[in-house]
This record gives sequence, C-alpha cells and structure tokens, in this order.
Amino acid sequence: MIEVLVAVLLVIAVIAVLISCLGMLVMRDALDQLHFTAPAATIAPAAVAVAVLLEEPLSSAGIKAAIVAVLLIITTPVLSHATARAARIREHGRWKVLAHELEDEEAL
Amino acid sequence: MGIDVNSWLIAATALMLTLLPCLWVCVRHSVLSALIAFELASTITTLVLVLLAQGVHRDPFMDLALVSAVLSFAGALTFVRFLERWV
Repeated sequence: MIEVLVAVLLVIAVIAVLISCLGMLVMRDALDQLHFTAPAATIAPAAVAVAVLLEEPLSSAGIKAAIVAVLLIITTPVLSHATARAARIREHGRWKVLAHELEDEEAL
Repeated sequence: MGIDVNSWLIAATALMLTLLPCLWVCVRHSVLSALIAFELASTITTLVLVLLAQGVHRDPFMDLALVSAVLSFAGALTFVRFLERWV
C-alpha cells in the first residue's frame, strides 16, 4: 500500500515539474515564465518529502527531505520576487513606481 | 553489486529529462528568461539529488540535496543582483 502511495506522489512530483517546464517553453515573456517556477518548487518538493517520509518515517533521510522541501518552498518565492524586481529595474531603470505611471494605469 | 531499478530512480530519470527544456530556454531566449530557466533547473537538480539518495538508499547523499538547495538560492540571488544593472 505504501509503495503505491509513494509511486503516486512521485508521479505528482514529475507532472508538476513537467507542467513548469512546458509552461516556461510556451511563454514568451520573462515575467510570464516566472510564474511557472512555482509548481516545480512547491508541489514537487512537498510530494517528494511526503513520499520519503512515508517510506522512512522519522529517519535521517526523511527529516532531510522535509528540510529540503521547506527550504525550496520558502526560498523560491523570494527568488521570484527578486527576479521580477531585477526585470523591472532593467526595463525602467528603477524599482519605484512613479505617480504619473499610476495615473496612466488608472486611466486605462 | 548492481542497484535495483525502483520508482525513485525512474522519477529521478524523468526529472533529469526535464532539464533539457531548461537548457533550451537558457540557450535560445533572453538573459532574464535564461536566469529563470536556471532557477528552475537548480530546483529540479535538488529534487533529483533527493530522489537519487533515496533510490540508492544512501542517507549521506541527502546532504548534497540540502547543500544544493541552500547554495542554488544564494547563487541565483547573486545572478539576479548582477542582472539588475550590470549585465
């Protein structure tokens, strides 16, 4: 029974990563591509960590896999924000939104 | 002395194949897209290391995944910082 659950979780992890990769290939804009790093960095590590914990509960490997999953889940959004910030600075030369930009957006 | 093929190793192989689209984006798209592909590839590599460690039943290999998770974050942040203005 545990083997089946582990296999299902691993399939979920692989599918999440596949969706991320395909999304990144299909999207043309960098900011659109950035959204597709999320499934690979949240669903996949969580599924893999649960699979390891199911096979070896409270073992060294299980705890380390859980730490890896937590690290990936925490650091990837930070990295995505930093990347989006870098994209904006490259495009506009600054991070802050100016008053006239907000007015233009409201007018739209 | 061989290692039996199990679901962990099959999943690791499948994930390694997903590195190819990342490589394609790195080579063919803009610098920013390449950085995003690099970030995704480092996440996939960390997962592959976890799967391989579990697949060959070597607990110390899991440390590699742990180090990879921390260092890939630091490395990607460094690239991001340079891409903001200087590259």
